[in-house]
Amino acid sequence: MILWIVLAALTAAVAAVLIMPFARGSKVALADRAGEVEVYRDQLSELDRDKAQGLINAEEAEYARAEIGRRLLAVAGEGEKQAAAPAKKYAIATAVVTLVPPAVGLCLYVMLGNPGIPDQPLEARLANPGNNIALLVAKAERHLAQNPNDGAGWDLLAPIYFRSMRLGDAEMAYRNAIRLLGPTPVRLAGLGETLVAESDGIVTEDARGAFQEAVKLDPDNPRSRFYVGLGYEQSGRAAEALAEFETIAKASTPDAPWMELVNQHIAKNGGTVAASPPAANAPGNPNQADIAAAQGMSQGDRQAMIRGMVDSLATKLKEDPNNLEGWLRLVRSYAVLGDKQKATDALKDGLKQFPSSGELVALANEIGLAVEGVQQ
Amino acid sequence: MIVEIGHYALVLTLATALIVSILPVIGARRRDMALMALAPTGSITIFALVAISFASLTWAYVVSDFSVANVWENSHSLMPLIYKYSGVWGNHEGSMMLWLLILTLFSALVAVFGRNLPDSLRANVLAVQAWITVAFLLFILFTSNPFLRLDPAPAEGQDLNPVLQDFGLAIHPPLLYLGYVGFSVCFSFAVAALMEGRIDAAWARWVRPWTLAAWTFLTAGIAMGSYWAYYELGWGGWWFWDPVENASFMPWLAGTALLHSALVMEKREALKIWTVLLAIMTFSLSLLGTFLVRSGVLTSVHSFATDPTRGIFILTILAIFIGGAFALFAWRAPMLKAGGIFAPISREGALVLNNLILTVATATVLTGTLYPLVLETLTGEKISVGAPFFNMTFGLLMLPLLIAVPFGPMLAWKRGDLLGAFQRLWVFAALALFAGLAFFYIQHGGPVMAIFGLILGFWGMIGAFADLWYRGNFAKVGFSVGLKRIAGLPRSVFGTAIAHFGLGVTVLGIFAATTFGTETVVEMKQGQTVNAGGYTLVYDGLRDAVGPNYTEQRGHFTARVGGVAVADVWSSKRLYTARRMPTTEAGILTFGLSQLYVSLGDAIEGQSGGMVVRIWWKPFILCIWGGCLVMMLGGFVSLSDRRLRVGAPSRKAKVVRPVLEAAE
Repeated sequence: MILWIVLAALTAAVAAVLIMPFARGSKVALADRAGEVEVYRDQLSELDRDKAQGLINAEEAEYARAEIGRRLLAVAGEGEKQAAAPAKKYAIATAVVTLVPPAVGLCLYVMLGNPGIPDQPLEARLANPGNNIALLVAKAERHLAQNPNDGAGWDLLAPIYFRSMRLGDAEMAYRNAIRLLGPTPVRLAGLGETLVAESDGIVTEDARGAFQEAVKLDPDNPRSRFYVGLGYEQSGRAAEALAEFETIAKASTPDAPWMELVNQHIAKNGGTVAASPPAANAPGNPNQADIAAAQGMSQGDRQAMIRGMVDSLATKLKEDPNNLEGWLRLVRSYAVLGDKQKATDALKDGLKQFPSSGELVALANEIGLAVEGVQQ
Repeated sequence: MIVEIGHYALVLTLATALIVSILPVIGARRRDMALMALAPTGSITIFALVAISFASLTWAYVVSDFSVANVWENSHSLMPLIYKYSGVWGNHEGSMMLWLLILTLFSALVAVFGRNLPDSLRANVLAVQAWITVAFLLFILFTSNPFLRLDPAPAEGQDLNPVLQDFGLAIHPPLLYLGYVGFSVCFSFAVAALMEGRIDAAWARWVRPWTLAAWTFLTAGIAMGSYWAYYELGWGGWWFWDPVENASFMPWLAGTALLHSALVMEKREALKIWTVLLAIMTFSLSLLGTFLVRSGVLTSVHSFATDPTRGIFILTILAIFIGGAFALFAWRAPMLKAGGIFAPISREGALVLNNLILTVATATVLTGTLYPLVLETLTGEKISVGAPFFNMTFGLLMLPLLIAVPFGPMLAWKRGDLLGAFQRLWVFAALALFAGLAFFYIQHGGPVMAIFGLILGFWGMIGAFADLWYRGNFAKVGFSVGLKRIAGLPRSVFGTAIAHFGLGVTVLGIFAATTFGTETVVEMKQGQTVNAGGYTLVYDGLRDAVGPNYTEQRGHFTARVGGVAVADVWSSKRLYTARRMPTTEAGILTFGLSQLYVSLGDAIEGQSGGMVVRIWWKPFILCIWGGCLVMMLGGFVSLSDRRLRVGAPSRKAKVVRPVLEAAE
């Protein structure tokens, strides 16, 4: 309500100001060349000064004086020609000035505005966050920005970040929690899974290291060990992978919900699966990322599939190169696949399209590609 | 509520601008005082409304109101306060708001300071300004509305692009826009004059302060942008012939030409039609620059977002204003009376030469900027036109201009004496030659062409004062009388000398920095040293640090001369946490006018503490921007000229005027 009163007052004020020229009554413009006359008079006095200072000689000064004089005469002559127009009332103009602001203003505002949404300064919202998870997270973030050594805070935030797919933040939070509170199997496994998710399902060296630490602290954790095995499998070290998967199989009851997946991997890495009834896909299975990563494909098939996806992205970009997001993804994909040449080529093409994209340059720095050579 | 008031104020601005677009024009045709008086009143109202709107958007940024989509996209609650302010224009929507704010500010200034203008001219000028305002308001409201809301509001913003979180950005766009948009006033004056079908020497006088102001701010804005790119992007260069840079440079070139041709028109009433055309062209280039940068045709640090509807909208604005103005020009220009005549060798002739070269240079830059775009649209082939093209064409064009600059002010109006000017200038030419050679000798080595460049720089600097020297007539009347004579000269003469001097300084800086500069790329471990520019740079190692919204690794360097530490500097690699985006913060050590520029590269894998470090020695590089500052100073001095203010007290003071003049 207050909003509408303010808007009405603003509109009225504008209309009132605009109506002022008409309120003074009608006047007819006089022939007005005074401004010009002023300019030429000043030119004449400048001429005198120049002459007095000897900057121009008498002959030039006379020429210039004649020229300026002609301009003066022309202006004066024109002034007389103008006749006065009859005075009149401003009914239409007044109507326009009073009606257009509210009409145009209201129509457009109703179309574009959001009168129902109040202002929401962040401080006020943080003071009263209610059940809003995002606000609670923001509050915790502010707390951590001031007390970056509060390990418990990082520990609390890390899984929340992971669930909301803020993987970079999740990685940082896990690392901080581990640094400040010490490693635990849960934190290490969380870090590992974050890293795997960050590299689209590939268990990187870094991630495998984290899982291995977790396994060291808790040798019976099948989940972390599974990732260790998966990491070996993806980097082609079948024997080591097999050992890990078999250890899981040995430690688990045959009807454990993860056994089906483990057995698939044992078979894939050249082991023999102990005969056991295939367990139903019960709830509590390894999470989606595991399944997606494993999905019964061989290493080669998986690579081929990823290659295919990357190549189709490359083709798409060739047709429609105006897609910064796409270029970023392509460069990163090639880098993950270890194809440095293609990554550099993609970077080059991307930079051609977006010559000073900070993001491309940043990405190149991040994954260690040289930008300078590419840009010249 | 505050945000919604801001939004409504913007909508109300549109209504007001529509009224000011139409009624004063009718008033001017009917010579109706009341309708014409609506123009200044309305223009000031428009500015007030836009200011309310802009203030409310700024408020939303300062209090981090993430229910405003624009704030959410470009701000972060932990950002330092100054970047919350500058973040307002660090994005597409907000920068258009700034554009609008400055446009309406200029209209309001014309309304306030234009009392000495004929009523009909003022009414028409302000109406044309209102047309531009309407166009940009429609653009903002329908394609780039900064007041769109989010419900429910996110808890944290996405942060401002880290390269834009810098003090340079806080002032670069406002300065640049003051220049860009300032030329809209010249455009409006030109269109208004064409509408009235009357144009004379007085017109040129009235336009001059606006041209000067716009040119001065644009000079500052471009210099600021160049310095910002130099220290923030970490590439060690200061001008890249980037299309966006060119977009701001073209109006500057055309504006410089306009400044000079308006001078001829004011003094001699010659070049009238050409001046009007230049006024239209200059602002058209400003609009074109806006289009290129804002439509997403060009992508760079400046193009915050790309959106085809915006591109089409701006293209339409462009077509209407540029096309309309040129059509009006084609229709009305033949009716304008031609002005005074002059011999080829005269002050006018020199200024025509200036205009000729500047216009061709503008066309060259325009070609280099647009050709790749046109070629890509037509054939799909992608090429990039880089520094070599511009250095060859633009550089060669500038040479004769730079040589001619000191001659211009020495020539008389109408009929000049080139031989006389030569005779009077040879002492100064010899001085420049000597200074250039001395400079070269002190710095040692370097290609021979550089000597020529240095001499050219000194020629500009020294030649700028030749005019003052002869006006003072020091040789004949002695020092003290000469000083008195100089003190009596109008300020615009000093403005000319200072601005031309600044140009010389910039030229000197360009040649010195490119000729004598060195670049070193080395792998450095803690304790290692590198020599550059006579300094020994010691790398003291890397340290972690945390900023308000970033973490960084800072490398510390100490510069030594003969074993004594003379300065130290940090260069860092930052990671902005919200966007996970790294930036490089160069470490810059300033020694006099020269700089040592240190930029951290990547850590070398497998070794402990080894870093790739780039070190540039940039001798006299500050001359480049210092020269621009001097040019800007020249602009302000000229702007303060008493003659520009003449008539300001309006018609009523006319009678008193001569008395005042005598007293001054």
